[in-house]
Amino acid sequence: MSYPFVIETQQLTKAYGKVQAVNALNLRVAANQITCFLGRNGAGKSTTIKMLLGMTHPTSGTGTVLGRTIQDAQQSRDLRRHVAYVAEDKQLYAYMTVEEMVRFTRSFYADWRPEVEQRLLKQYELSPRRRVKALSKGMRTKLALLLALSRRPELLILDEPSEGLDPVAIEELLQTLVAAAAEGTTIFFSSHQIAEVERIADHVCMINHGRLVMDLPLDRLRQDYRRITLSFAAEPPPTAEVQAEGIEQVRTNGRQITMMASRDADAVVERLQRLRPISVEVEPVGLREAFLEKVKEEA
Amino acid sequence: MMLCYKAWRESRTRFLVSALTLAGFCCAFVLYHHDARTGIGDQSASYAGYIWHITYKSYLRDLFVLLALLLGAGGLLRERSYRTSAFTLALPQTRWRLVSVRAAVGMAELGMLSLLPALVIVSLSPLIHESYPLMQALKFSVLWTICGTFIFMIGFLSSVIFDGEYTASLVGFFALLLYSAVVDLPAVERYVGDIHDIMSGAGMPYFRQDAFVLAGPLPWSTLANILLVSLVMAAFAGVITRRQDF
Repeated sequence: MSYPFVIETQQLTKAYGKVQAVNALNLRVAANQITCFLGRNGAGKSTTIKMLLGMTHPTSGTGTVLGRTIQDAQQSRDLRRHVAYVAEDKQLYAYMTVEEMVRFTRSFYADWRPEVEQRLLKQYELSPRRRVKALSKGMRTKLALLLALSRRPELLILDEPSEGLDPVAIEELLQTLVAAAAEGTTIFFSSHQIAEVERIADHVCMINHGRLVMDLPLDRLRQDYRRITLSFAAEPPPTAEVQAEGIEQVRTNGRQITMMASRDADAVVERLQRLRPISVEVEPVGLREAFLEKVKEEA
Repeated sequence: MMLCYKAWRESRTRFLVSALTLAGFCCAFVLYHHDARTGIGDQSASYAGYIWHITYKSYLRDLFVLLALLLGAGGLLRERSYRTSAFTLALPQTRWRLVSVRAAVGMAELGMLSLLPALVIVSLSPLIHESYPLMQALKFSVLWTICGTFIFMIGFLSSVIFDGEYTASLVGFFALLLYSAVVDLPAVERYVGDIHDIMSGAGMPYFRQDAFVLAGPLPWSTLANILLVSLVMAAFAGVITRRQDF
């Protein structure tokens, strides 16, 4: 089956009482990419993922995953045959051994690949007879990844996959994700770790207070986003004179105005020259800076 | 099949402890019947009367009721507190199936627990030169299985509504107490039978009080109604689970 987007939501909302955990989210995730769902703790990432997988019911709005409607119980079950999911805390059944956990999970999927299972067992140094409750968090993450990757999922969803892992384990995890993407699995992972997002993501969807605040390819961010700082000899002009399409987060600080241009920075600078600044500085913007600016703006 | 295995693994300890407890008490009641009869002041009754009093009417029955309630514990809310519910719910299974498999495994375990007194009492009685009719014991097992299912479902339903390790069982216990109090009300007892009396036969037309035996056919229509109510409770648990957020 082919879908324009593996994940697509329209006005997806989840409210807990008066708190809007997810607020009219319009999310689209393209196939064959690594997409990061970036946001602070409590931004609504996990709630969104849980709604996509049918664990939490949306208050309003709709969504599809791999072309199946997330609110329909039968379609939700069907989509879960094709989606692998690694939850945030990677808790598995403590009373089972690694071997039992693998056998249990394998029984639900027709696309299980025993050779991958065996390879990953060796690669991750997981002892089949070890009880899950005796595994460290890093080893539990590896087991959860093994259970997800031993299948041939169309879509792999990971919720904060690197949470609680040491740097070596994070590196192994990122390499595993890149390898899975190279095999044709679409990857959608939530994170608030900028460095790992910059390492592997093709596309970033940023969420803050339950709303999508940025949705663009990482390459476009690197190429087009610029911080522009205008310095003036006297009092700077009102920020309204600077505002224009493609300019965000305009701030005045003493005799300086700073802003972020999301496209065509050269044209923006040319236009700003008419305000007669004494100097204009243009710097590239990293994901960390864009993230912090977006979060500040929303606050 | 693997969902059954999961449900079994999750309830295995409770089931085995319950089985050992029931079997242990049955052994003690048979092997130390002289002491037990003195203890409960029941010297006059026949062996069948003694077994009925101590097993099917009072101590063991009450213990069985508590164990049936405990067997109903578990499920997705408990998994949520252990943080494994996300893994379970990500499996390509509907919540209906998760609930129904757990209910079926629990009922099977309950059936086995109900058979234990029959097996232990009938097989151990010859050791003390007594006998207890197998058919009588099996008839009581049928009553216990079906009435136990009702009690199990109280615990089961409670476990899909109330969070917490012991909350669900405690709420189930109080719900059962409330039920017992309500069915004892004169205005109610004419219409609704007390599940405890149905289990023991006390005061029921299918029980001969003089010989302490179940006489004639079992009350199949009553048992069918109890089973139906139990299944409605299971379905209700399914509806609640389907609507829950995890």
